[in-house]
Amino acid sequence: MTVAGRYSHLFRPLRVGPVTVANRVVFGAHRTDFAEDGLPSARHTAYYAARARGGAGLVITEAHATHPTDGHHERLVQGYRPEVLRGYRAITESVHRAGVPVLVQLAHIVVPAAAPYVRRPAWAASPVADPVARTVPKAVERHEISAIIDGYARAAELSVEGGFDGVELQCAHPSIVAAFLSPATNRRDDRYGGPLANRARLLLELIGEVRGRIGPARVLGVRLCGDELLDGGSTLADAVELARVLQATGKVDYLGTALGTAATRHVSQASMHIPAGYALHLANAVRRAVDLPVIGEGRFTDPLQADRALADGHCDLVSVVRGQIADPEFAAKARAGFPEAIRGCLSCNQGCVPGVGGPSGEGRLACAENPRVGRESEPDPAPAAASAIQGGRPGSGRWPRRARVAAPGPRPRDVLVAGAGPAGLQAAIAAARAGHRVRVCEAADAAGGQVRLAAAAPGRAEFGELVRNQLAECRRRGVVVDYGTAVDAGLVRLAAPDVLVVATGARPERPAWAGGLRRVVDVRDVLSGAVRPSGSVLVVDGLGFHEATGAAEFLAERGCSVEIVTPAPLVGRELAGTLDLEGWSIRAAARGIAETCEHRVTGAVAEGTGGPVAVSLEHEPTGTGATRTVDWMVCALPQAPRDELYRRLRSPGGPAVRVLRAGDCVAPRRVDAAVADGERIGGRL
Amino acid sequence: MQLLSPLRFACGTTARNRLVFGPHATNLGRGRALSERHVAYYRRRAAGGAGIVVTETASVLPNDRPYERAPLAAECGAGWSAIADACHGSGTLVLGALGHSGQQGVSGDGPALWAPSRVSGPVGGEVPVEMDAEDIAATVAAFAAAARLAVRSGLDGVEVDAGPRALVRQFLSGLTNLRDDGYGGRHRARFAHEILGAVRSEVGRHAVVGLRLSCDELAPGGLVPEAAARLAAELAARSGLDYVTVVRGSTFAPDADRPDGHTAPGFASTPARRMRSWLPREVAVCAQGSIVDPETAEGLVTEGTAQLVEMTRAQIADAELGGKLAAGTPERVRPCVLCNAACQVRRPGSPVVSCLADPRSGYETEDPPETAPAARPRDVLVIGGGPAGLEAARVAAAAGHRVRVVEAAQRTGGMLRVAAAGAGRERLALLADWFAAECVRLGVRIDTGHRAGPSDIDARLATGGAVVLCTGGLPGRIDFPVRSGVVVLDAAEALRRGVPAGPVAVHDPVGGPVAVSVAEALAAAGREVTLITPDHQAGARLAHTGDQAAASARLARAGVTVVRRSRPHAAGDGVVAVTHVYAGGTSEVRADVLVDCGFRLPADELWRGPRLGFTRAGDAVAPRGVYEAVLDGRRAALDLDDAEVAG
Repeated sequence: MTVAGRYSHLFRPLRVGPVTVANRVVFGAHRTDFAEDGLPSARHTAYYAARARGGAGLVITEAHATHPTDGHHERLVQGYRPEVLRGYRAITESVHRAGVPVLVQLAHIVVPAAAPYVRRPAWAASPVADPVARTVPKAVERHEISAIIDGYARAAELSVEGGFDGVELQCAHPSIVAAFLSPATNRRDDRYGGPLANRARLLLELIGEVRGRIGPARVLGVRLCGDELLDGGSTLADAVELARVLQATGKVDYLGTALGTAATRHVSQASMHIPAGYALHLANAVRRAVDLPVIGEGRFTDPLQADRALADGHCDLVSVVRGQIADPEFAAKARAGFPEAIRGCLSCNQGCVPGVGGPSGEGRLACAENPRVGRESEPDPAPAAASAIQGGRPGSGRWPRRARVAAPGPRPRDVLVAGAGPAGLQAAIAAARAGHRVRVCEAADAAGGQVRLAAAAPGRAEFGELVRNQLAECRRRGVVVDYGTAVDAGLVRLAAPDVLVVATGARPERPAWAGGLRRVVDVRDVLSGAVRPSGSVLVVDGLGFHEATGAAEFLAERGCSVEIVTPAPLVGRELAGTLDLEGWSIRAAARGIAETCEHRVTGAVAEGTGGPVAVSLEHEPTGTGATRTVDWMVCALPQAPRDELYRRLRSPGGPAVRVLRAGDCVAPRRVDAAVADGERIGGRL
Repeated sequence: MQLLSPLRFACGTTARNRLVFGPHATNLGRGRALSERHVAYYRRRAAGGAGIVVTETASVLPNDRPYERAPLAAECGAGWSAIADACHGSGTLVLGALGHSGQQGVSGDGPALWAPSRVSGPVGGEVPVEMDAEDIAATVAAFAAAARLAVRSGLDGVEVDAGPRALVRQFLSGLTNLRDDGYGGRHRARFAHEILGAVRSEVGRHAVVGLRLSCDELAPGGLVPEAAARLAAELAARSGLDYVTVVRGSTFAPDADRPDGHTAPGFASTPARRMRSWLPREVAVCAQGSIVDPETAEGLVTEGTAQLVEMTRAQIADAELGGKLAAGTPERVRPCVLCNAACQVRRPGSPVVSCLADPRSGYETEDPPETAPAARPRDVLVIGGGPAGLEAARVAAAAGHRVRVVEAAQRTGGMLRVAAAGAGRERLALLADWFAAECVRLGVRIDTGHRAGPSDIDARLATGGAVVLCTGGLPGRIDFPVRSGVVVLDAAEALRRGVPAGPVAVHDPVGGPVAVSVAEALAAAGREVTLITPDHQAGARLAHTGDQAAASARLARAGVTVVRRSRPHAAGDGVVAVTHVYAGGTSEVRADVLVDCGFRLPADELWRGPRLGFTRAGDAVAPRGVYEAVLDGRRAALDLDDAEVAG
């Protein structure tokens, strides 16, 4: 099959105003928290450059602020300060070196400026509280409207001076432009409020001013909100009408189409429960109304989906954000005919939710699958990944080797990894990348460990892609994986590796109150199919993440009557950080899953240990007791590390081999921690 | 006052008085180092009269990063030196707090958390890894190295953290230490002994060594005051402690050492007494926990319970606490209202420590001092006597302007007094009283019961005066139909005047302290109350003040029904109809009264755009909180001079 046959549209060049993009894959604007002291950092440069080298057709930076009243988060690039120029030049030069145009997104964000970084009232069209920031903004006065426009104009000038090919105006939520555009937030009775023509006045003035400053040789794009999903808010019809108005100005080169507002981030950055392409109807409607190129958005993680969106005429360009966070070479691999080599995004949102970020604790963008995100500027401990890509040879069956071999590293070692879960596989990948010879032994007959179980929960199948991606990378790097092979001291002596990485995972820990009751089981038993509870089920949520809610949905779908009990004030409280809490709330309500919060289990008994379980609960705040009699109980509780192998091999008399450990066998944590552990351990042998 | 008398420690070092500015998270750092903002922050408290400043707890090992800006001891040398220099000039001792958060940290993208045993915190807590002998030795050595650096940098000593968020406490407690080796069981104190011993031998005999010890973990099976006091006595005997700070809290109650106004102050004295009775006389006891009133502190010292008193939040609210007490003007001390709204900063986003009574706290390097003499005194009319207006008047008068405040109500204080009627928020009234008293002291003319109009503004501006519009806010719009049979009130009216008979629904689209306090106050009055929130839980925005779980528990105990994830869509005939935010289904809440705690609108009918000499502040700009009102008001007053120059 030829490349063109596989992707007939994705790799066709397109003229976007004054520039031509080589393909339709856009690395759209998204918050990174990479700024330092309000300025673009080396992290930014390396991050964008990696995606440009990896084949993106167009890079759009994150939103840069245009006015000092916008301090909506601490690591915001202050695009109104001339000091940004140095960083701008670094970004544009390195992206241009890959032959890719780069735009800067300009925004005046109105929302959480009650935040401590500004200590001034947030500006907006009217004093209508933002649903997320929960503070009432100040309705801007005439002179402040001029200041807004001046801010954009000045920032646009700096962008051009810094070498950007143009600007994208963020006009979707939560920008001040959206606050003016939306009837829900604009209650003004002056020339800037009322009918759309008035509500759009600020935007039209901005466009006029910005185009004047950047001249005709630069791109001016507008990212619109296609539908605010808000009672009384902007609708798709508004967006379409506005698109026509914008085209008529003759000053706009393309349009973007966002969905939702900051109050519906679970839709704007949908997790794996929402199908890819869910927002394409917006791009489609706008595209049918205008001749300008339109960017489609909405969880594109696969080049085929993206190509299809183009083929079906929904859009002219496709924004692939998370797909290129997870794999900077998304486009290049597709183009070269190796889409199976793409480390596909899981849409797990465990690292890339704005303001939450990854495990660094600094809110910085991260990726559960790709531990290199945000560290592109740091030397790779397993250095082969740092070098450039050679052209692919379709049909060779392998994603091309690197042009440069890694700088001569330490002596290649024989590495044995015990366990093919996410930590073990990542350790194997990192070690192989550094030039070591790696063999993974897995006791079970398949890789993935708990990831495989997690993927069995309804709507969570894409989580399993992690295993596929890791195995594919292992294969490419020559890692041998043996199944049905448990590592023990004998095997270690026989194999005599230089290094053993123990990644044997964790096991459920039975709560004391469960005693020997057969109908008290672990989430794992349910998801693996080892037990098939029926009737009424009480799920105990002691973790707050997907474990309990996933099992509850799994059982509800099978016809069980399900209740979740948790000592926390909220079931699935940790789901908020991945934008899964809203979806869970919707599905729980739809499936009739009951939630009982602030209760702990104090005891469980059953007739003859095999019958229905009588559970006693205590409402912690009041000490009030409660009881339930259920057919089954399913526990989602902290696990215990399976560290026997590690301990045995480290004890005196063990084999003379360097023993390291990674993942849950150190301490049971989430998958991102397992991958990070594996990367760290495997990269520093 | 005995509080202001000197104290000689066992090591021989003398503190000029007993007033301690204790260790707390500030987020003032740069990366993991202390910054010039820290220096200015501590300098101001030292100059203001603190006897001892204990700097923000520094992690002794890089694998501990409990919050993003948590200082790391190895990076604190220069900062400690600068702070020592800044505070020694005022005669204030500076001690460095050293700690490790163990299982209460965040592992981030680094290795797993360390802990004595594999015990995780409440739901969502990370499972830690059990420390081995090497890890223990490394931690002991790290405490010693950090102590050495602190003293070499010029500090007068160190304080070892075994408080509510500390690895050392996790070792001491049977809740978190399940080890069966030489550091568990009967030997749970060995880790602490080793650390204190190593620290003492590093810093020498003459430096101050203190221990911050949780004496009540507030969890069954945890440390209790009697056992903790005995433990402290042993530790003191072996390692030569100079003082023990008696705190409370644990993994299961991490914020119990600094609760907000819902917890009555006074909980500090009993465990401090217990500690005093067990410790040798030469070891000082430092009392801690919601001690914000000088009389309380003085009482603890005079009765012999404590030789030192930590008044941290009180000195965030008034950096000159000690100075005002020394001057014999305790009434001038700006009160801490125990709201935790701006000073509890251990949360995502790393906000800088501050205070709604004094927004310059934490912003010492950025904000100008509160008072600077005016170049030319002017006549200033302040319309509205809420927090914005009173702060504007106070600061303007202190600068030498002639100020008149016109307040439509019979009493000043505005929303401070209204909010003070809510459960657990009573201390807000103290701040209103303080503002009014300071205004009177500074010669501000306050006319209550007088509603200003456009002519007042014009008259004042016409004669070259200035006008600051601080008219506050108005109830927001109700965006659903209301028929007869349900009375709708806004929160302010309900708090001011009470609520008509019948079951009450409280609608809270905000999630802050107001609706919870209204619901609690009504329930306490015996009313049937339902709290309706669009959020997943009641008081969803209270997490940062540390009151969220407690608020939920209080509501439950008070019998308030919470209807979550719901929004009213109609009211009438004794029923409020609500829609499920996510599922869309509807249900009904029985209510004759609906108290709306929603967003407010600016009361800005007198505003006619900025003109020379005419500004506005507080809710009249945009209805926000007390912090923003006070900050706005202060800035309006400080800008009077600029406006005059411009004219």
